[in-house]
Amino acid sequence: MDMVLQAIEFVFQWQNMAALVGGSVYGIIIGVLPGLGPSAGMALMIPIVLKWNPATALIFMGSLYKCSNYGGSLTAILVNTPGDASNAATILDGYPMCEQGRGNVAMGISATSAMVGGTIGMVVLICMAPWLADFALKFGPAEYFLTAILALSIIAAVVQGATLKGLAAAGLGLLLSTVGFDVITGHLRYTFGWMIIEDGIPLIQGLVGLFAVTQALVLAESASSISRLSKLSGSFWEGVIIYFKHPMAIIRASLIGLVIGVLPAVGQSSAGLLAWAEAKRESKHPETFGQGDPEGLLASETSTNACMPGDLVCTIALGIPGSVGAAIFLGIMIIFGVIPGPLVFAEKADVVYSLFVSLVVTSFVIFIFGATVAKHFAVFTLIRNEIIVPCILVVSLLGSFAIRNMMPDIMISLAFGIVGYLMLKGGFTPIPLLLGLVLGEMVETNYHRALMISGGSYSIFFQSTISKVLIFLTILSFAGPYMGPFWKTLTQGEK
Amino acid sequence: MSSKAANKGIVFLMLALGFMFSLPLADRVAEGVGYPDKIIKFIVTAGAGGGEDMEARLLSPFLEKYLGQRIIIENQPGAGGRIAFEKFQKAEPNGYSLVTYTFPKSIIMEFMDKTNYKTMDYVPVYSWSRSSQLLVVHSESWKTFDEFLKAAKSKTLSGGLSGRGSTTHLAALLALDELGIKVNWVPYEGSAGSVAALAGKHLDFTICLATSAVSLINAGKLRPLLLFSERRDPYMPDVPIAKDLGINMEIIPTLRGVEAPPKTPAAIIKILESAFDKATKDPGFIEVAKKRQLILQPTSSREFGRIIANAYPRIGKYQQMLKE
Repeated sequence: MDMVLQAIEFVFQWQNMAALVGGSVYGIIIGVLPGLGPSAGMALMIPIVLKWNPATALIFMGSLYKCSNYGGSLTAILVNTPGDASNAATILDGYPMCEQGRGNVAMGISATSAMVGGTIGMVVLICMAPWLADFALKFGPAEYFLTAILALSIIAAVVQGATLKGLAAAGLGLLLSTVGFDVITGHLRYTFGWMIIEDGIPLIQGLVGLFAVTQALVLAESASSISRLSKLSGSFWEGVIIYFKHPMAIIRASLIGLVIGVLPAVGQSSAGLLAWAEAKRESKHPETFGQGDPEGLLASETSTNACMPGDLVCTIALGIPGSVGAAIFLGIMIIFGVIPGPLVFAEKADVVYSLFVSLVVTSFVIFIFGATVAKHFAVFTLIRNEIIVPCILVVSLLGSFAIRNMMPDIMISLAFGIVGYLMLKGGFTPIPLLLGLVLGEMVETNYHRALMISGGSYSIFFQSTISKVLIFLTILSFAGPYMGPFWKTLTQGEK
Repeated sequence: MSSKAANKGIVFLMLALGFMFSLPLADRVAEGVGYPDKIIKFIVTAGAGGGEDMEARLLSPFLEKYLGQRIIIENQPGAGGRIAFEKFQKAEPNGYSLVTYTFPKSIIMEFMDKTNYKTMDYVPVYSWSRSSQLLVVHSESWKTFDEFLKAAKSKTLSGGLSGRGSTTHLAALLALDELGIKVNWVPYEGSAGSVAALAGKHLDFTICLATSAVSLINAGKLRPLLLFSERRDPYMPDVPIAKDLGINMEIIPTLRGVEAPPKTPAAIIKILESAFDKATKDPGFIEVAKKRQLILQPTSSREFGRIIANAYPRIGKYQQMLKE
């Protein structure tokens, strides 16, 4: 506890606060700019921060890392363009809220999510990081496979209402996830000699197409603006109030985000998606999800924000990075002589705890930024379509190009845009496709690995306690929709 | 200054200028006259923030100091770096675009796929550091390499790989060949996965870059048994190399270096080589490298070229196994 108090005192020294606020603003800008993710943002700053005090430099990088994610969700909400893969789920309800003219409310929810989700995640991280890291190590290929299956089972909830079309989209997503270099066998699959997709379908470029380009096409059909009524209703603070009215949803979403963050082999992009799908399943009005339901937005945003501290657990406690961003963060820590690992909490406690405290403070800085600056951003949704559509197209395609400096990536985005448009017209939702694309590789490679380790015996999937719990949860998840009515007749019969 | 001396100076300057302009342009490039007079592009064959990228970014301020020119880093990820290598084959050989990568990954790619480039065609400039490939086990298992070897000969062990066709994969195949053991290789995407699986006892051992396992080794969770190198790692002086154990093992070093496009004039290479050498030996860079635990190994253009040429037949020997 002493450690934490000292760290608080340290973080509030003027130069550290300056680093924190500077990192936050820079991070938000990086997040808003297309094609510049947290990785590039941090890499660019390395030569500059080298001369700083280690703790100050890490505070700067930490707030940059955290805020770039917030910047990405701003564009996701306002113009349907995710800044990074982790913002994919933000789009689902965030952008439709803007269409209803409730952009201000969405801004409020997103900023509050960053504050609350981030703080919950950090507090858990500060209290239990070493324990969580040990827990994460218990996950082998078999456990990861089962986790992915459990995650896929959530598709059942997502496709409710249009089951067949939903499953078709999910299947397409799974198929697309097999494109590229097969990690296990070393073969190239479905690349047709095209080097660009040897690493698989590039996720952000695909997302830009599926959401931003598709939306631009849809907008081009009508003469109004993103906000269909061409006016704004609701306020930032209304969003804040709505947020705190859903304590259970907040806790669930935070937990999902944390768990996914802690497991190093689960992609961060799935945190928001799974929390969103879970919230839909728990909701009394699942049909409004994806139509601009504030509950959907708060679930995905809270989860994404809780995911980032979770991601730091294994990075700091074991030196095993869970994402590209975390890997860079790890590299920067090493340069400053803070060698991550179980010992770091004792040896470099001052640096580590001031980093943690600064990340909590950053969560509040984001909220303040939201309440003062971002709340005005909703006016973008009032710009007339003939002006905003070309802007969205140019900026999002530029981003798609900038990620790898490759022209063909723009073609990928355009192709996904057209597919997305056709899907929309045909009554398909892109969400199951996204889940399939994000989870497919995790299912496949871990299934392979587990069987390679066991020598082909399927018993490896039932061995550990974690596996058994995961299998139980998966069965529950599939049977859930049928259990409800069954349970009702059972209890009513007793009366 | 006396007017006589000034006159002399002007005459000399005129003569020098006249001489310079009388040479055809191509020859001037060939002799490196005036090089470098614009920004130099440093292509990294992976995304921003990885090991390759970080080293390039740490070194470039020192290079700028000795070249007197700005350096910009361009990340060209994709297909494990192949997209960058293919592009680089056609880059103009004027010394303004250079590629930095982890040797010998581009050569492994040549043997695994059909490529339109040849690493042999590039002109080696310099290599500044080497990476350590380690054989690591869980600390609750074997204590020495001999114990490990005995176990590996009595049953097939599961070993983690940080990726097919990676430099680590090659190190693993070389070891396997020398030791005559059969291994059930489990490939991961990057070393984070294979190191985590080993720490969780899902694998028997793993081969990875020292930097990815150093945290867990320091914490006593993992134990390094063997270093695939001709020299010990100064940051892990206790880890034996094959020679120490009396094993004769063929080693292909893992180096971080820089190359110029095919047919780059020797004069330009010379300027670059000397700047890289000075930058690598700059006390400021040495200090940064120490923090990042880089093992500096200054390797001249000629020596780097020799290592590249030698690697071809040796990697070719494992072509089939790399693909399997």
